[in-house]
Parts: sequence; C-alpha cells; structure tokens
Amino acid sequence: MNKEKDILKWFNSELTSEQMKERYPEEDFSLLEKSMFYTKNIERPNVNPESALKDFRAKYAIKKEPKVIPLNFSAFLKIAAVLVVMLSASYFVFFNGGKTISTDIAETEIFSLPDDSEVILNSKSNLAYDKNKWKKERKLTLNGEAYFKVTKGNKFTVKTTAGNVQVLGTQFNVKNRDGFFQVHCYEGSVEVRHLNKSYVLVPGNAYRWVKNGKGQLMSFKGNTPSWIKQESSFDNVPLWQVIEEIEAKYDIEIVTTKIDVNVLFTGSFTHKNRELALQSVTIPLKLSFNIAGNKVELYNYEAN
Amino acid sequence: MSKSKAELCQDKYFNTFYITHIKDATNFAFYKCGNNAVALDLAQEAFTKIWENCAKIEIGKAKSYLLTVVNNLFLNTKRHEKVVFKYAKDSPYHDHTNKNPEYLLEEKEFKLKLTNAISSLSDNEREVFLLNRMEEKKYREIADLLNISQKTVEKRMSNALKDLRAKLGDLKF
Repeated sequence: MNKEKDILKWFNSELTSEQMKERYPEEDFSLLEKSMFYTKNIERPNVNPESALKDFRAKYAIKKEPKVIPLNFSAFLKIAAVLVVMLSASYFVFFNGGKTISTDIAETEIFSLPDDSEVILNSKSNLAYDKNKWKKERKLTLNGEAYFKVTKGNKFTVKTTAGNVQVLGTQFNVKNRDGFFQVHCYEGSVEVRHLNKSYVLVPGNAYRWVKNGKGQLMSFKGNTPSWIKQESSFDNVPLWQVIEEIEAKYDIEIVTTKIDVNVLFTGSFTHKNRELALQSVTIPLKLSFNIAGNKVELYNYEAN
Repeated sequence: MSKSKAELCQDKYFNTFYITHIKDATNFAFYKCGNNAVALDLAQEAFTKIWENCAKIEIGKAKSYLLTVVNNLFLNTKRHEKVVFKYAKDSPYHDHTNKNPEYLLEEKEFKLKLTNAISSLSDNEREVFLLNRMEEKKYREIADLLNISQKTVEKRMSNALKDLRAKLGDLKF
C-alpha cells in the first residue's frame, strides 16, 4: 500500500526516481519511468492563437455583429404599434395599482385593504388608494364618509379635501362632505390635521368642522357609527348637512327654499323607510314635507 | 466592479484573453477527449459562451470559468470521436545514447502500447493523468482546476497508473 502511495508521490514530484529506487531496490520501475518520459512527448493540439481567433470571430462569435435587416418601414410601424399597445396595456395591468371604490346613493360597501384593514364606505362616497405603494405607505383619499378598522402597522393616512387623518391602528369614522368634515374615534387614537392645526382624538372624541366655522372637538357615545346600523345620527348638526345625508340615502331631491337650513338638528333617521326618515327629521324641528315624485319640499308647519 | 465586468465585452480585452488562453483551453479539452479537432471545437465553443456572457463575467474569474465551460461542454456533448494520441515528430527516445536497432524497435513498440493504453483509460483518469504528465501539474492544482477534491484526483491517478501498468504488461504489479 505504501508503495502505491510512494508511486503517487513520485508522479507528483514529491519523490525523485533515485529515491524510489533506494526505497524499493527490488522493484523495476522502468516501465513507469518510460511512461512518464514518453507521455510528455505526446503531441498537443497545435493551435495557432491568431488564426484560431480569426476563425472564432468568423464562425463562432457571429452574435457580436447581428445581421443587418434593411428597415422595412411599414412592417416596422406595425410592430411598433403592436409593441406600444402591449406595453401600455401591461403598464396598466402591472404598474398601475391605483384602485378606486365608489358607492352610489343608498349603497354601502364593505371591503378589505391589502393589509386586511377593513373599510365600510357609506353612500355616495369614494375611496382611492394605490395597491402597489400600500406596503410602503398606507395612504388613501376619501371623498364622503367611511368607517375604518385599521390593523396595526405603519402610519395610516386618510386624505380628504378638508384635512388629513393619521392613525396607527384603530377604528374611526371619517366624514367629508361638501363643507362638512367630521372624524369620530372609536378605538386607539387618531390624529386629525385640519386648517393648519392638529388634534389627537381618543375614543369617544370627535372632531367636527362646518363650513365658515371653526373646527371643534366634542364627545359622543357609542362604539360604532350609527350609519353602519342602517341609521344616521346627528348631534347639533346644521340641518343642511342632515338634508344632504338624507339625499344620499334616498334618491330624492329636497327643496329647502322656505326654511332655515342652519338650525341645528339632534337626532337620527333610519335608512330603511323614507317617510319615517323624513318624519324623524322634520317633526322635532316643527317642519312638514310634501312628496312629489322624487322631489320633497320642506316647509314650516306653523306658517301654513 | 461593473467596469472590469464590461471589459471582457470590449474587443481588445477579449482578444487578449482569447490569445492567452486558447492553447490552455484546447489542451485541457484534448486531455479530456483525446482528439485534436474535437478539442479545438470545444475550446472555440467555450469561448463563444464567454463572449455571449461577457457582461456577467469578471475578467479575473474568466479563466476558471472557461475551463469549467470546456468541461461542461464535453460532458454535455460527449461526441466521442476516436481517441488518438501521437508523439511529437522529434520526440527523443528514453535512452537517447542507445542507437541499437533492437532497442529502437522495442521502444517504438512500447510507445505504441503506451498511447493505446492511455486511449483506453476512462475520460476522468486520462484527464488527470495527462494534466499531471503533460502539464506537470500537481494533484492540488488539478483538483482546483477540475473543482474536485485532491483525494479524488489521487484516486483517479492511482487507478490510471494501475491500468497502465497492467496494459503495458507489467505483471508484477
């Protein structure tokens, strides 16, 4: 076995032929010695680098200089047109993560955002966000009213035309109708930025702004917005805002020329019955109404 | 980093790289396949691969990549032409002082037996044996070159030697 190893060493030039002969005087290494010698004389491929390179350039590296196909302009245009269509289509499919959800009169919509936050969108509202950027920043734009149950995570921002609402993980309601902005906090804490001021709401707190007025903080009771339970509640809200809300729930147009729409209303109306809803708003304010098709006229009860 | 990578894509760098290594690559392929024409073909194809991927290869690693490609191409294609070994025309005899015709004839016969024996080795054994004998590479270097362990090289070498001794009629071993 040692001999095998020594032969290996010998071939690896760790031992010389002389040393081998000394170690194994009986052995005849002439065959191996000759093999060693003659193998070295085996002819190697005779490569001329220069001509091989020429050959390589000519035969093998053709890809370097692609065949020049004369530009057939009409064919080119066709291909270009197809490419443009495909590229723009794929752009919309792959890169445009913008999503918009809208509700119409009397509709509400419940859906989840990419991070499993839940949104309930009230009637006549729309909500837009970018699906692709959602992981980086949770940001959406709201027009109308929505209730959010936000899962914990990064800053969650609701942009509205009136102001921004930022939270980490909580439940809150944002209402942004024309000239009216209201945020209710149901859980966690909510930061409202509005009119260059910032407010932090805790559960039970709400922020409200009515056009031409100042933003104010107030408190409320309840742990979900009433509209989710098919009812709209108001606490000292101007009548015009209540009327807008009724219009959003029932497909009607309310004529208010004969009354003062700035009186404050406290109470609620149902989403299930138009008559009942109108009554629950008008009776406490000593108003009455006439229904003609989908036009409703309000008037002072006492004046008539 | 990107500079040295892109270098290989420039004609002048590539040509230098080609000229420096075409012989090595061809010889390397030759030890594997034992056929001149096939060896050159394999080497050329390997350079094509380098050229196609020039942007991805760092110039410092290009040589080992080249040999790996030769190896893979050989394994993939395995176009086994007949293994042919010839001796260089002016190759001397072992004992160049002995001009005895009988000795010369014997040596000629031995050389023929030797090439036949080498041809009949397995590809792996032949490769190791010839890299060791013709390039005078140490087992360690061969191991690095082929990306195998030194133990494997020694094993192949040992098998090759046993095989050769048996074929050369050295019955004592």
